[in-house]
Amino acid sequence: MKTRALLIGLLCAALAIPVAVVAQDKPRHGGILNWFDYGDPGRLDVHAESPLVVQQATAGVYSGLLHWDPDDPSKIAGDLAERWTVSPDGKTYSFHLRKGVKWHDGQPFSSADVKATFDRILNPDFKSPKCGASLKPLVASVEAVDAHTVQFNLKAPVGYFTGAIASAWCRVAAKHILDKYGDLNRPEAQIGTGPFKFKKYDRGSVIEWEKNKDYFIPGVPYLDGVKQYILVGGPTQVAAAKAGRVHLWDAWPPMRKTQADEVKGARGEEVEVYRWPINTIFVLYMNSKRAPFDNPDMRKAVFLAIDRQELVAKALEGAGVPCAVLDPKLVGDFALPLDEVIKTPGCRQSKDADLAEAEKLVKKHHPNGIDVEIAVRQVGNYVDRAQLVIAQLRKVGIRGTLKTHESAAGYASFGKGDFQMIATQDRAMDGTDPGDVFHVVYHTNAGSNYAQLSDPKADDLIDRAAKETNKDRRKQLYHELQRYILTTGTTGAVPVGWVEGYFFRDKKVRNFKPGLTVYDGNTFMKVWLAQ
Amino acid sequence: MKRRVAGAIAAFVRRQPLGAVGGVLILVAVAVFAPQLAPHGPKETGFAPYLPPSAEFPMGTDQIGRDVLSRVVWGARLSLYVGLTSVLIGVTLGAVWGAVTAYVGGAPDSGSQRVVDSLMALPPIILALALMAALGQSVNNVVLALLLLLVPTAARTVRSVALAVKQFPFVEAATAAGCSHARVIVRHILPNCLATYIVLVTTNVSYAIVVEASLSFIGAGAPPDEPSWGGMLTAGTQAMENAPWLVLFPGVAISLAVFGLNLLGDAIRDLADPRLRGGLG
Repeated sequence: MKTRALLIGLLCAALAIPVAVVAQDKPRHGGILNWFDYGDPGRLDVHAESPLVVQQATAGVYSGLLHWDPDDPSKIAGDLAERWTVSPDGKTYSFHLRKGVKWHDGQPFSSADVKATFDRILNPDFKSPKCGASLKPLVASVEAVDAHTVQFNLKAPVGYFTGAIASAWCRVAAKHILDKYGDLNRPEAQIGTGPFKFKKYDRGSVIEWEKNKDYFIPGVPYLDGVKQYILVGGPTQVAAAKAGRVHLWDAWPPMRKTQADEVKGARGEEVEVYRWPINTIFVLYMNSKRAPFDNPDMRKAVFLAIDRQELVAKALEGAGVPCAVLDPKLVGDFALPLDEVIKTPGCRQSKDADLAEAEKLVKKHHPNGIDVEIAVRQVGNYVDRAQLVIAQLRKVGIRGTLKTHESAAGYASFGKGDFQMIATQDRAMDGTDPGDVFHVVYHTNAGSNYAQLSDPKADDLIDRAAKETNKDRRKQLYHELQRYILTTGTTGAVPVGWVEGYFFRDKKVRNFKPGLTVYDGNTFMKVWLAQ
Repeated sequence: MKRRVAGAIAAFVRRQPLGAVGGVLILVAVAVFAPQLAPHGPKETGFAPYLPPSAEFPMGTDQIGRDVLSRVVWGARLSLYVGLTSVLIGVTLGAVWGAVTAYVGGAPDSGSQRVVDSLMALPPIILALALMAALGQSVNNVVLALLLLLVPTAARTVRSVALAVKQFPFVEAATAAGCSHARVIVRHILPNCLATYIVLVTTNVSYAIVVEASLSFIGAGAPPDEPSWGGMLTAGTQAMENAPWLVLFPGVAISLAVFGLNLLGDAIRDLADPRLRGGLG
C-alpha cells in the first residue's frame, strides 16, 4: 500500500496535477456547486447498480464505514467507523462506530444499519455488481457486537479488505429505509448520513443535494448544495463547460485533448485543466455464451485483430496505456513491464502477422466471413470507438453492424447477456488494489464479466493472488495471470488499454482533490467556493 | 424525335433557368453515385484524425481518421437513395390511394380520409422518431418511417385532383361506354393526376433528405458508421471549433442538394400549373 501511495504521489508530482489545491484562504460557507452526470441514472440503488452515474447521483448522501480520505485521497480513513482493529490471524475486523450519528430523517444510526446493509450486499441472491462482487469472495459473515461495534469475519486473511470496504459502492444504508422500501431505487429512499441530503431528482434534467446541517463532522460541508445537471453527449458537456455552467469536470468521460483545448480557450485563466489517470480500463467484450464467440477461435481472432494502439491514439487521442491488463502507473510492479506487454500477440506492431492469423481463424469456421452485431452504449465517444472496432474487424472477415443503446438500456441488455459483442466499455476500478481489475472484469463472479466466461485457470490465479499476503508471491501470481490473459487471447474480454484524460476545475472551486478512482473524491464534503 | 427532346430541354432551360440549375445540381449529386469518385472507402479509418483540408484530403479527415470527402460523396449516395426510394414508393402509394378513394367516393372515401387525418395530425419528426425507436436504426427503416410521413400527404393531394378529374365528361363517357372501374382509374383518372404526382415527387425528395439528415443528426437515423450527412454533422459538433471542416462540408452538401431539388421542384410545378405556364401578367 505504501509503495502504491508513493507511486501515486510521484505520478501526481510528475503530471503536475493539483492533487492538493491547497487552501490559500479561509474556507467559505455557502454557494451551490454545479456539476454534471454523463447520463440519467434512472435507478439509484448504489448497492445494486454499477453505472458511475448512480454512484455520482448519491455520492454525497451516504457515508461508508471507511472511505478514501478527502484530505489525502491516497489514504484510507474512518468515516462512520471511528477506528478499527484486526485480529492477529487477520480474519476478523472490528469497526467501532461513531456515536450520535443521525440519518437524514432524524433516526439514530447504529450497528444494526451496518449489519442490514452488508447482509443485503452479501446475500447470494442479491446481485451487487460492485460492492457485492468485491466483498462476497472475502466475507463470511457480519455481526453486530453491540450498538456501536460491528465485526466482519473473513473467509481468509486478505490485505486489501479495508480498501474494499472503503469503496464508494459500499455505502451504509438505513435498515428502516431498506425495510420500508425494499431497495434504494426511489429518490425518497435516499436517506443517508452523508454531508448532503438528497433534495430533488428531475428525470433527465437535474439532481440536487442540500447541505446536511446535522452532519456528524462539525463545520462541514461548506457548500449549501450541489446541482448535478444531466448532460448527455460530449458537445453538450463541452458547451456547458465553456459557458461556465459547470464548476468542474472530474468524472468519466474525461475530456479529450481537443475538447480540453476548447474549454481552456473559452475560459482562459478561470479554469485549471489537468491530465489524470482515472483508474479505468477500456474493455471490448465478446459473449462466450452466444455464437460466434462461444467458439474460442473466434474470440482469439478478435483478440488478435483489435489494434489497441490505434484505438488509444484515435479514440483517446493518445491519453491512455494500450494493451495493459494492469497499468504500472497505478499499481507499480504488480503490472507486467510494458516492454513485455507490447510484444504479446494482439498488441505487437506491426499487426500483419496477427491479422493474418486472425483471418485464418475466421476463415476456418466462416469461409465467407461472418456478420456480427456490435453493441455500444451511446455515451462518451463510445460510438466513435465502436466504428474503429468495426473497421478493424472488417480486415479479418468480421462484418460488424452497429447497435446503439441508451446508457441504462445498454447496461440492462449487457447484464442479461443480450449481445454478441460490446465494442467498448470503460470499467472503473473500485479501489487501488492490483486485484481489482480481475474482480471487476475477469473472474467468473466479476460484476462486469459481461463475457460470461468461466475460466477455471484464471479464477484460480485470481483467488490465489487475492489471498496471498506475501508481496513477492502475490506479484508473481499477478504476472502469471496477466501473461495468461495476454497470451491465450480467449478470455472474451480484450483489454484495449487504461484510460487517461483531461479534466478541469474552475478556480473558484477550492480544496477539491481528485480521487484515485473515478468513484472517489466526489462527496464534496470539504470543498468550498471562493467568492 | 431527338430534335424534339432537345427542343423541349432547350425550352425548359429558357423558361426555367433556375429549374435547370437545380436539375444540374441534382445531376451532380446523382453523379456521385459512382463510388469511383470517392478516393477512399467511407468507413476506412486508416488516416490520422483531424487533418485539415489539404491536397491529399480536400475536405480533411474526421475524428477517427476517415476521409471527409469520401464520406460526403458516399453520403450523397445514401441521401439520394433514401430520398428517391421513400418518395417514389410513398408518393406512388399515396397517389393510388387518393385516386382510388376519390373515384369510389362515399363512406370508403370518407373513412380513408379520417385515416389520413390521423396520420397527418402527428408531428412528422415525432412520428419518425417513434418509428425509428420501434424499428431500430437502419437506412431501410428510415425509408419506412419516411413512407409513413409521405403516403398520407400524397393521398390527400392526389385525391383532391382526382375528385376534379372524376367530374370531367371523358370519365363519364368512359363509364357509359362500359369501362370497368379499374380501367377508368388506370386509363383516365391516374394519367390526369400525373402532373401533380411529378410535382409531389420532386418537392418531397428534398424533404425526405432533410428528414433523414435530421433523424441521423439526433442519432435516430442511419447507423453512426453509415456515411450520412446528418450523422456527419453530429460527429462534427464534437470538435466544431478545432475542426470546422467536419460540419462545413456535410452542411454545404445538404444545403446544395436541398436547394437544387427545391429549384427543380418549383420549376416543374410552374410548368405543370397551367396558370403559370400561360405567363400570367
